[in-house]
Amino acid sequence: MRHDVIVVGTGVAGLAAGVRLAQEGARVLVLAKGIGATHLAGATVDVLGYDPARVESPEEAIGRLASAQPGHPYARLGAAAVGEALAWLRDQVAASPMAPYAYEGGLAENLLLPTAVGAPKPTAAAPVTMLAGDLRRDERPICIVGFRQLKDFHPLLCAENLTHAQAGAGAAARGIELDLPVSGRVDENAQGIARQLEDPVFRGALVQQLAGRLQLNERVGFPAVLGLQDPHAVWSDLEHRLARPVFEIPTLPPSVPGMRLYTILRGALRAAGGRQVIGPEVIGPVASGTRLEGVRVRVGRREEVRYAEHVVLATGGFASGGLVLDSSWQARDAALGLPLAGLPEPGAPRFTSRYLDDQPMSRVGIAVDDELRPVDAHGDPVYEKVRVVGASLAGAVPWKEKSGDGISLATGHRAAELILAAGGAPAGLTTATQEGR
Amino acid sequence: MTTLQADVLVIGGGATGAGVAWDCALRGYDTILVDRRDLAEGTSGRFHGLLHSGGRYVVKDRDAAVECVHENAIVRRVAADTVEDTGGLFVTTPDDDPAYGDRFAEGCRATGLPTEEISPAAALKREPLLNPGIKRAFTVPDGSIDVWKLVWALANGAAAHGARVLTYHKVIGVRREGDVVCGARLRNELSGEEVDVEAAFTINASGAWAAEVATMAGCEGVHVAPGKGIMIAMNHRLVNTVVNRLIMPADGDILVPIRTVSVIGTTDIRSRHADELPVTQEEVDQMLDDGERLVPGLRAARALRVWAGVRPLFEDKKTGDTASTRDVSRSHAMLDHLERDGLRSFLTITGGKLTTYRLMAQDIVDAMVRQRGEDRPCRTAETPLPGSEDREQYRLGTRLRAREDELQTEQIICECELVGRGRLEAAMRRRGTVNLDDIRRNLRLGMGPCQGGFCMYRAAGILHGVDRLDGPHATGSLRHFLQERWKGMWPVLYGDQLRQARLDDWIFQGLLDVGHVPADLEGLPTPVDAELQPATLA
Repeated sequence: MRHDVIVVGTGVAGLAAGVRLAQEGARVLVLAKGIGATHLAGATVDVLGYDPARVESPEEAIGRLASAQPGHPYARLGAAAVGEALAWLRDQVAASPMAPYAYEGGLAENLLLPTAVGAPKPTAAAPVTMLAGDLRRDERPICIVGFRQLKDFHPLLCAENLTHAQAGAGAAARGIELDLPVSGRVDENAQGIARQLEDPVFRGALVQQLAGRLQLNERVGFPAVLGLQDPHAVWSDLEHRLARPVFEIPTLPPSVPGMRLYTILRGALRAAGGRQVIGPEVIGPVASGTRLEGVRVRVGRREEVRYAEHVVLATGGFASGGLVLDSSWQARDAALGLPLAGLPEPGAPRFTSRYLDDQPMSRVGIAVDDELRPVDAHGDPVYEKVRVVGASLAGAVPWKEKSGDGISLATGHRAAELILAAGGAPAGLTTATQEGR
Repeated sequence: MTTLQADVLVIGGGATGAGVAWDCALRGYDTILVDRRDLAEGTSGRFHGLLHSGGRYVVKDRDAAVECVHENAIVRRVAADTVEDTGGLFVTTPDDDPAYGDRFAEGCRATGLPTEEISPAAALKREPLLNPGIKRAFTVPDGSIDVWKLVWALANGAAAHGARVLTYHKVIGVRREGDVVCGARLRNELSGEEVDVEAAFTINASGAWAAEVATMAGCEGVHVAPGKGIMIAMNHRLVNTVVNRLIMPADGDILVPIRTVSVIGTTDIRSRHADELPVTQEEVDQMLDDGERLVPGLRAARALRVWAGVRPLFEDKKTGDTASTRDVSRSHAMLDHLERDGLRSFLTITGGKLTTYRLMAQDIVDAMVRQRGEDRPCRTAETPLPGSEDREQYRLGTRLRAREDELQTEQIICECELVGRGRLEAAMRRRGTVNLDDIRRNLRLGMGPCQGGFCMYRAAGILHGVDRLDGPHATGSLRHFLQERWKGMWPVLYGDQLRQARLDDWIFQGLLDVGHVPADLEGLPTPVDAELQPATLA
């Protein structure tokens, strides 16, 4: 069948676009070479954390950023669209089979959640299982609990840095490292522990180890491993049994809360009739002039063509393979070959020698117009019915400014709105045409 | 101020200096080895890992070739654990003159280097990724050598015979009583504390920095020109045999399989200062093009890192030639300062190559023994280094096999290089350092494809516990290691390695936000080029 919309990429940006469109009746095909970046990210919704000072209110800061950096993706959206997208995500999670697991937060004021190294990170919204870690006003002391078997989380380091960071009125923190009750393995990853924690017996053994070691009034932080299928049950059971607020802290990939978000959004896509195929690699456009008719896809060793009225490009940046730089220093968008903006001139440095400095390559990406259509160096759209979303976009330094999740969510959501406004679904396009060969 | 006494002070903790310390210790001298940084952090730690068969020199410099033939065999015995018997090939690429092969074969015969000409088809069968257009191929007994393992084995062996090893101790003055050199004043580069070493004899083995030390002793005209060479490590073993281009020694003419990677090298560019070793894009491009000539498609593989090493090229500006240089060999320079400057108890050795470190050490210590009027024969050609007693050479897979045995009991911290938690904690305790880069040189922590993306946070967390560091110091160690890894990555970031680096950045800045945690860098070294004045750089 011919699809109304092909979404390329299955991270937050692609899934947000796909779900939103499918829910409005569009025939959506999500194609992805592999699982998206959800499994890497902490699954908080970082909208804007630093500009470069720490941002208190993303709503206000987005306005300032949009006028100071016209090339920034937020300049194409404005704070209102970001707020709408965030509200939409909260609704999706609340309506998912994983409920009452939910996301809370908004643009008015950033939360301040501890990272695994003990940095207080500003983020707009997060799963309820993380909220008790908020460092802004909560002065209750913190006990960070880790597991000897989980090398990807170091509770004592985290706690000590939290104390030094004096983020929220100097919340005192300490760390405890436990031996996991039953596993018997010396090397566990977050996913494995999350599965085990879904067993009430395992939780009971954990609580038993911990209960006597907690102090009055302490809130308890765990690595983000509190269940994959039913995290709310795991989390609330621990809160109940420990009789204290409990929170999760995202840590190294694989990201358990990221997998949950992926499960929720993929479930919503399927429930709305959207299709997702993992494996095919989009390798080029099928177009005449600025009219894109479909995409060329490599499936195994075969090449096929998938036709659609609209294409949403959500393949991510250099970290996801959406953008590539070859050894001759030529950069390109891997899926459609779109032109990239922000590239340093030939011979100019692409990176600087100091890791934490601003890196010239960081802002490289695909430039778009207000309709999120890719534009060339003159600002003219390359294709009329292609929208570019997420980390493929030029102009942001997502990890430095803590904006990646917000940009992905809001541009994905916005692309769907734009396609719907353009009549992309469900009207018309009933003729079945060829698919593949 | 602390004062230490010794028979011999050895300045410079590269392969030569550590070799000298080992040699001295075996001959019964009470020895102190010092380096301004960690062991093998200068020239020795910055080469491609080749244990020369001598093939590279059979046409251009037969004396050097003969030395290599001889020393290669000795090193394989006494430092077996650090050597991998990869074997080597010299191949004529389509761009090279096949007639050179005849001169090469003749050179091998004349120097006693065992070689055999094999058909291009046989060479391609052995190394399928080689350029299919090669015209001639010769086998040689090249190998690869883990230099950090070697230098630490030398230092540990010396220490087992009573030697003391002071890393991060910089010589800030050479002590003299009249015409006798009697040790040096050192400054601990991490604490700032000064230490006096009173030594009956001082050996300057500081390589590319030998002129600075000689000048401190009052010797004029010693000049060591730094010759910069860059190398690029590719993320896996593109070849399992050392592959040399069959041409006169030139840039980009060798690919060395070493441990889990292969290294393409190298260039030769005069540098202004031994600590000023920038890598330019032109050099990177040239190396990759040269690599393509040996292994077509090399550019499509992942380039992990690039680094520059510095060859010490000795010139005697006092005499304008090498007349007062005891030219024991054309491949290394030994300066007898008694003969040259009228200074007793002070010798300088510089130049040479890693393969001949042992011979250089023997020569200089022999010279010291002569000056002292003693008779203490060298024992390094027969005495195996710690870890090499069974003469078992390293094989790719040794680490994996050991790891498989302990899979149920040992947490693996660096998956790329298979570093287990027990070994990591033991190394942290043994070294007593807060510098994860020191640990890296011992264990290869963070040297694989992810360049520490996953293990750096883990290692910092473990270091925090082992060393009972406070949070900001542990974060300082993490940030310092991040910067040390980044140093070699950024000039050569492209393709999948750029993707990896961006993922790492996502972890460190996006997820952990290491930029917003207080970091204390106390106890960590500053970059060596930090002290260079702009005037020096201009």
